Amino acid sequence: MSRIIGIDLGTTNSCVAILEGGKPRVIENSEGARTTPSIVAFTPDNEVLVGQSAKRQAITNPKNTLYAVKRLIGRRFKDAEVQKDLHLVPFQIVGADNGDAWIEANGKKMAPPEVSARVLMKLKKDAEAFLGEEITEAVITVPAYFNDSQRQATKDAGRIAGLEVKRIINEPTAAAMAFGLDRKQGDMKVAVYDLGGGTFDVSIIEIAEVDGEHQFEVLSTNGDTHLGGEDFDLRIIDWLCEEFKKESGIDLHSDPLALQRLKEAAEKAKIELSSSQQTDINLPYVTADASGPKHLNLKLTRAKLESLVEDLVFRTRGPCETAIKDSGLKASEIDEIILVGGQSRMPKVQEIVTEIFGKEPRKDVNADEAVALGAAIQGGVLGGQVKDVLLLDVTPLSLGIETLGGVMTKLIEKNTTIPTKTGQVFSTADDNQTAVTIHVLQGEREMSKDNKSLGRFDLADIPPSPRGMPQIEVTFDIDANGILHVSAKDKATQKEQSIRITASSGLSDDEIKRMVQDAELHAEEDKKLHELVQARNQADSLIHASQKTVSELGDGVEAAEKSQIEDAIKALKEAMNSDDKTLIDQKTEQLSEASQKLAERLYAQKGAEGMGANESAAESGHQGTQADDIVDAEFEEVKDDKK
Amino acid sequence: MSHDDILPEDGEAQAQTETPGLESTLEIRTPEEWAEALAKAEQKAQENWDKALRTQADLENLKRRSEKDLQNAHRFGIEKFARELLPVADSLELGLSVETANSPDIQKLREGMELTLKQLRSSLEKFNVVAVDPEGEKFNPERHQAMAMQPTDEAEPHTVLKVYQKGYLISDRLLRPAMVVVAQDIGS
Repeated sequence: MSRIIGIDLGTTNSCVAILEGGKPRVIENSEGARTTPSIVAFTPDNEVLVGQSAKRQAITNPKNTLYAVKRLIGRRFKDAEVQKDLHLVPFQIVGADNGDAWIEANGKKMAPPEVSARVLMKLKKDAEAFLGEEITEAVITVPAYFNDSQRQATKDAGRIAGLEVKRIINEPTAAAMAFGLDRKQGDMKVAVYDLGGGTFDVSIIEIAEVDGEHQFEVLSTNGDTHLGGEDFDLRIIDWLCEEFKKESGIDLHSDPLALQRLKEAAEKAKIELSSSQQTDINLPYVTADASGPKHLNLKLTRAKLESLVEDLVFRTRGPCETAIKDSGLKASEIDEIILVGGQSRMPKVQEIVTEIFGKEPRKDVNADEAVALGAAIQGGVLGGQVKDVLLLDVTPLSLGIETLGGVMTKLIEKNTTIPTKTGQVFSTADDNQTAVTIHVLQGEREMSKDNKSLGRFDLADIPPSPRGMPQIEVTFDIDANGILHVSAKDKATQKEQSIRITASSGLSDDEIKRMVQDAELHAEEDKKLHELVQARNQADSLIHASQKTVSELGDGVEAAEKSQIEDAIKALKEAMNSDDKTLIDQKTEQLSEASQKLAERLYAQKGAEGMGANESAAESGHQGTQADDIVDAEFEEVKDDKK
Repeated sequence: MSHDDILPEDGEAQAQTETPGLESTLEIRTPEEWAEALAKAEQKAQENWDKALRTQADLENLKRRSEKDLQNAHRFGIEKFARELLPVADSLELGLSVETANSPDIQKLREGMELTLKQLRSSLEKFNVVAVDPEGEKFNPERHQAMAMQPTDEAEPHTVLKVYQKGYLISDRLLRPAMVVVAQDIGS
């Protein structure tokens, strides 16, 4: 079963997305861009270009470079909107025999769906390249105000492109889905404020929960089909030209390269001012005249920008107020406002939205991509992907065991999706330790005593060996029902013990919340405690290693050296009993220095005897022979009852 | 395998792993009832098998895609940064293209600028960012952006007459198109 892609077929730009792993994601096109211009061109060589490449050759081929076809699709030739467009575009708009608005280009007449189909074909192809599978079905979005004829024409475009259009959904609806508003319980009224590159649309929709399903109803729509981000850019360009003329007397409007650079700089500056209070527009060598090259270097503040575009922003107020009125609701009755379209990122725009609707809008989904993402979600629902996926649980708190020093070592991090299984190898803390206690804990604190104990068990009959040598594999396995199985296995003897812990021995939602908060509050303290424990453990290892070195050298140790080391060990042991990490570190250093000399000698000696074991010197002089992922567990002898 | 020394800390602690799922009630059933139960169980097993396979397949697709994403991230990760640096190269080139006096001071300045530009270019090239200078070539909208058309008989129509601004490729993908003037047939 192939997957269903979601397509935002826009007037200026289109975007395609798909549901992956339960989350919608935008598919990049073959040029690596996340949106594709909705432009189709027929070149003199009879090539058909779609997207950026079509845009780039527009000047060389104005009659056959078709754009904004969405303004024509599904309309009659005599429609006011079409007649208006007739005089605005360089290509020919004609009436078909049946009265529909058609386009004449490349020596023939074609219906708008045929042209839009080219864009869809490119999106389809790029999606197939990305996914590595054939795509035959799609969900396509249309403006909420599209009538039947326009919707059908959009469906036709899909069919021509080789896509079965499983559903046509409204753009505001798709946006609402991208924001997850259809997953809440009960009814909801949502306003969608869509300020894109070339058009402004505002819609009020109602999401009703009927028999567990969510239904969308468009209560009202309004907008301005010729108001968008590009108009904002124009204001900045005009201001730049004006300022430059004042300084140099040159009008940059007549210099195509300068104008292009200004356009890019203006858009960049506008975007920067959404997050800074001012920005530099710096264009060296922007133009030249008889007296030489000229540079443009101007500062634009957010306040100045806002004054330049004030009237444009205010122009969105009227349509919003009309839409609210037409919906029969009061602004206060609208539960959520969501922002769509790149231009909605501007702080001034967000301000006016908050003013008009009386509450702050949601902007947590990428405004340029929300519609496509919503279409992808719808595609996923229709394809059965969303239903099939069991809503998997996560472990709300981390799970682990108690290790040397009373510390909790986590094996499963909180918010891990279950079922899951993980294991880690631990070892003994003392020489000749023949049993270990596995104390299972749940929580986020560093110290075991601050976490919840879920249970404990022992694994005995470990063959006597030096500390750190036995390999005890501890496995945590949570099944789909949330039941935790903890087992410990001695790799040498293959002996295994385990424990089964059910959810009922865990915590309530409130307790979980409290524990997570507690952990955050105590994070600093816990960290210090952990460091102290680590220092102690290191000290312990070093003492063991030093004692070992001394005994191995036997007579090779002079009496003075031996007593020096013994003194250092004594001082260190005392320090370990205190809570002073600095002191412990100090004494550890001292012992390390003292025993290092000894260790060097031991290995020089061995080296002279023909055993070049150079690397081990570093090891035994310092920490203790530990493999990277073996952690010392605080394992107690079975007979003791420490805790 | 139970062990004498296990400390039974809470009632839940057990010494052996249980096999979950065999909670069937062992009541007496008729052969028909058993047949039905078996058929249901087999169907459920088949459904679960399908789901497992599908999940496995999805996982593998996801892995494959993640690898590709990572590869792309490495290759194109510097794309934004490289694109921001291009105007620096542009400005240096524009500066050098200006006619200047021949005084030694100016010459020294020019030399410095040339060397700086060279430095920048070689840094870019180290990361597979190369310039596109298509003067005289056939106009190619995949790599060039037409700024204007100019009627001329000095060049073939639809070839690049003049390059306003160089384009750039990153790892063979277009980073920025070259801004060009396209030759137009004088007759048209």
